[in-house]
Amino acid sequence: MNELAIGIDLGTSNSCVAVLRGGAVEVLPNGYGEYTTASVVAIKPNGSVVVGNAAKANIIHDPKHTVYSSKRLIGRYFFSEEVKKARAICSYEITEAENHGVRIRIREELFSLPEMGAMVLRELKQIAEMQLGRVVNKAVITVPANFNDNQRQATKDAGRIAGLEVLRIMNEPTAAALAYGFGKGLRQRVAIYDLGGGTFDISVLEIADDVFEVLATCGDTFLGGDDFDDRLIDLLADEFMQKEGVNLRNDPFALEKLKVAAEEAKKALSIDSEAEIRIPDIYTAEGRPPCSIQRKLGEREFGQLVNDLILRTFKVCDEALQQAGVIARDLDGVILVGGPTRLPMIREAVRQYFQKEPKADVDPDQVVAMGAAIHAASLISSDQEAFLLDVTPLSLRIGVAGDMAESVIERNTPVPIEQTRTFTTFQDNQESVQIRVYQGESRVAAENELLGQFEFSGFRKARRGEVAIDVTFEINADGIVNVTARDQETGKQSSTRITLSSGLSEGELKSIIEQARTERVQTVLPPAAAIPALPPAVQAGEAGAQRAEGKRSSFKPGEAGAQRAEGERSSFKPGNALAQRVEGKRSSPKPPPPRKAPPPPPRPQLEVTEPELEIGEPVVVSAPRPSGPPTSGFAPADLGESPDEAPTDEHLVFDATPQRGSDLAPDPVEDAPDLLGDDDLAALSPEIDLVDAQTVPADDEPATRGLFDAPGTDLSELPDPDARKKK
Amino acid sequence: MPDLAPTEIKALARILDELDYYQLIHVSPSATPSLVKAAYYATSRAFHPDANRHLEGELQSAVAKVAKRITEAYSVLRDPRRRQAYDRRLEAGAGVRMQLAEAQAEAGRQSTEERQGRTREGRQYFTLALADLKRKDYLAAERHLRTALTFEPDNPVFKEQLASVRKLTR
Repeated sequence: MNELAIGIDLGTSNSCVAVLRGGAVEVLPNGYGEYTTASVVAIKPNGSVVVGNAAKANIIHDPKHTVYSSKRLIGRYFFSEEVKKARAICSYEITEAENHGVRIRIREELFSLPEMGAMVLRELKQIAEMQLGRVVNKAVITVPANFNDNQRQATKDAGRIAGLEVLRIMNEPTAAALAYGFGKGLRQRVAIYDLGGGTFDISVLEIADDVFEVLATCGDTFLGGDDFDDRLIDLLADEFMQKEGVNLRNDPFALEKLKVAAEEAKKALSIDSEAEIRIPDIYTAEGRPPCSIQRKLGEREFGQLVNDLILRTFKVCDEALQQAGVIARDLDGVILVGGPTRLPMIREAVRQYFQKEPKADVDPDQVVAMGAAIHAASLISSDQEAFLLDVTPLSLRIGVAGDMAESVIERNTPVPIEQTRTFTTFQDNQESVQIRVYQGESRVAAENELLGQFEFSGFRKARRGEVAIDVTFEINADGIVNVTARDQETGKQSSTRITLSSGLSEGELKSIIEQARTERVQTVLPPAAAIPALPPAVQAGEAGAQRAEGKRSSFKPGEAGAQRAEGERSSFKPGNALAQRVEGKRSSPKPPPPRKAPPPPPRPQLEVTEPELEIGEPVVVSAPRPSGPPTSGFAPADLGESPDEAPTDEHLVFDATPQRGSDLAPDPVEDAPDLLGDDDLAALSPEIDLVDAQTVPADDEPATRGLFDAPGTDLSELPDPDARKKK
Repeated sequence: MPDLAPTEIKALARILDELDYYQLIHVSPSATPSLVKAAYYATSRAFHPDANRHLEGELQSAVAKVAKRITEAYSVLRDPRRRQAYDRRLEAGAGVRMQLAEAQAEAGRQSTEERQGRTREGRQYFTLALADLKRKDYLAAERHLRTALTFEPDNPVFKEQLASVRKLTR
């Protein structure tokens, strides 16, 4: 049997799975006939796991045990802004784990974020297996272009936990461009405007027939459709507060109802110019009649509510165009990606900014998965039908004196790439050097994301300056970072190949895989029950026909979109959820039944569990980690795991938290010595470990060059070449 | 794209540190930007890890090594200022490789020179003017800037500086 690999768009709000077969892309519908599946995970009292819209409907009844928008948390530290925000607004319990990790507690169980992602991936894998009638264990998974290394690594871990070999972590806008330009023989420059549930990305690509070269990508990981919803939730809550004197934000159930209503209203405004919001009995208390919310929301009013958010996306666009060296007028097209881009106000804003009609020939909710599927097929086939040249979205930096971070690989540099810098010891008989790696656009270390830190030792004790250490920074085609240190003299690379991982150590990851909690995911079979027992050989003609039809419909954006929207509304909300519904003014109250895959009758609770699926080849669960031995753990989480290997030096204590805010001298020294020689620095910063052996003189790269982080040294006033350029 | 011969891959990986960027991507040092781009497409297509998934062990790492160097070459050559800096390095016989940070710094140094003046006299008087400014002696600064401009009448930085000083002297 031919090898098969799927493409998965693991979204903040919705996810989608597709496959390329016989030269055509097919988006694979779930058991309810929907082409996207809500990225929501509900854990039931008996431990079973439900993913998708059924889980989403569960939020209202059981908010504490239903996990949504977990992509916003993946690969982040507990102290990060995003986690703080989530803890304030999310109804499920978010707790801190070792080394500033994040866990979600559901009843007595703790789940890491990669494992939550894996639940969704598992559902999509099982959907694909049902639709294709065979085991699927290879996939390309997409991430927002602006995801940092921690987030990419965590997503890759999620794939592995779900039993998938992740062929590639691919950037969402790049995938969209591939879906748009694949097989068309284009010669174009295009922009991909990708506004998802939680993130915004803009990428500028040059398409030359089958080569897709990303010229630049920029993004905002704190801006998405959810933020639009939040504005509306705030409006409704404020109004209710004024009218009834009750703060609905304190009531988790009411808040969830507001959330559903806000999202529905936004969707309705994608189709109509006015939406009606009706939430009956949102507040009930003894001694007073139940209160409801009912109001109309016009496009204009909503536009005013979110206008600044829309404008923010264009600031990011300015940056991307500038980085790509093109102007909006030069572009041949603009492609819209993500559910929120259905909003007419966004289309209009995009049209004005780029001075051209944005393209939406492919469904903005499915285009990313389709591109991932094309790339997946291309990766496992011998003849490359599409060739991607992507870039790293964030500058890779190394910590230097004065709590600064110096750029080693600038953002928008093509990948894969490797850069080597040579350093030397700074003190006589120095035994180790300390290396910190960051990603971000600030010269101030603490304003970047710390990917990890490690200590390199074992070189000869010598006079200062005699030992030469090559530090190699690599970014692979997944956008994942590796840092290696090597002693030039001995060629020694002991414990030096470092993966800066998301926080799950290899050991933790293995034990999560062994626990196999993703096997509890209960995937609903398609109503046709077309795939009875799943022998891989049986590729029922029936199923084939169904798929073919699915493919056709997926290419008609208008229809498919409407169908999906209705499908969700009509087939999913159980009684209670329907109590509050939002209707577009002009939308017909009774949607026509979906053409394909009618809403399934009373949900066929056929529980597909792993044994049934494991016919044929066994599911491969162990994709090799991209880097070295498990003992090489310098990722924060690893340190506890292997105290023997890990140096116990206090330097290794992960201390990013205290750095925050406390780092910069509040009163910077006026005459910061920006023309210091190395000797001066020696006097100033006795704790410095290393000096760059290359000592390349450069006006813009003053004395900090090559000096490793030396806490306590304040050189924060050194000129920042990046900032100067921007000015 | 036909598969690369194992001997070819190994040979290339071995001599990688002796090839300059132009040799590496098979273009002449006078190639236009669009030729450089086309050459980058063609060579990375041959060596990119995506195109060589089937290779194993030593060959895989050899191919990856070449691919990363090709990306480095392109990252330097696609930017006119970095390319100039690289060409100067080649001319000086100072090595065939240039780290991106170096290329960036070199390019930055060039533009600094532009900022501070092209002629010795221009630089000299401009420096004096900056010193005057630091002492808040705006009249002297204005005088020195005018003199600097007599040597470099077109220098936009000098002009801009003069304009802002004039606001202060009035």
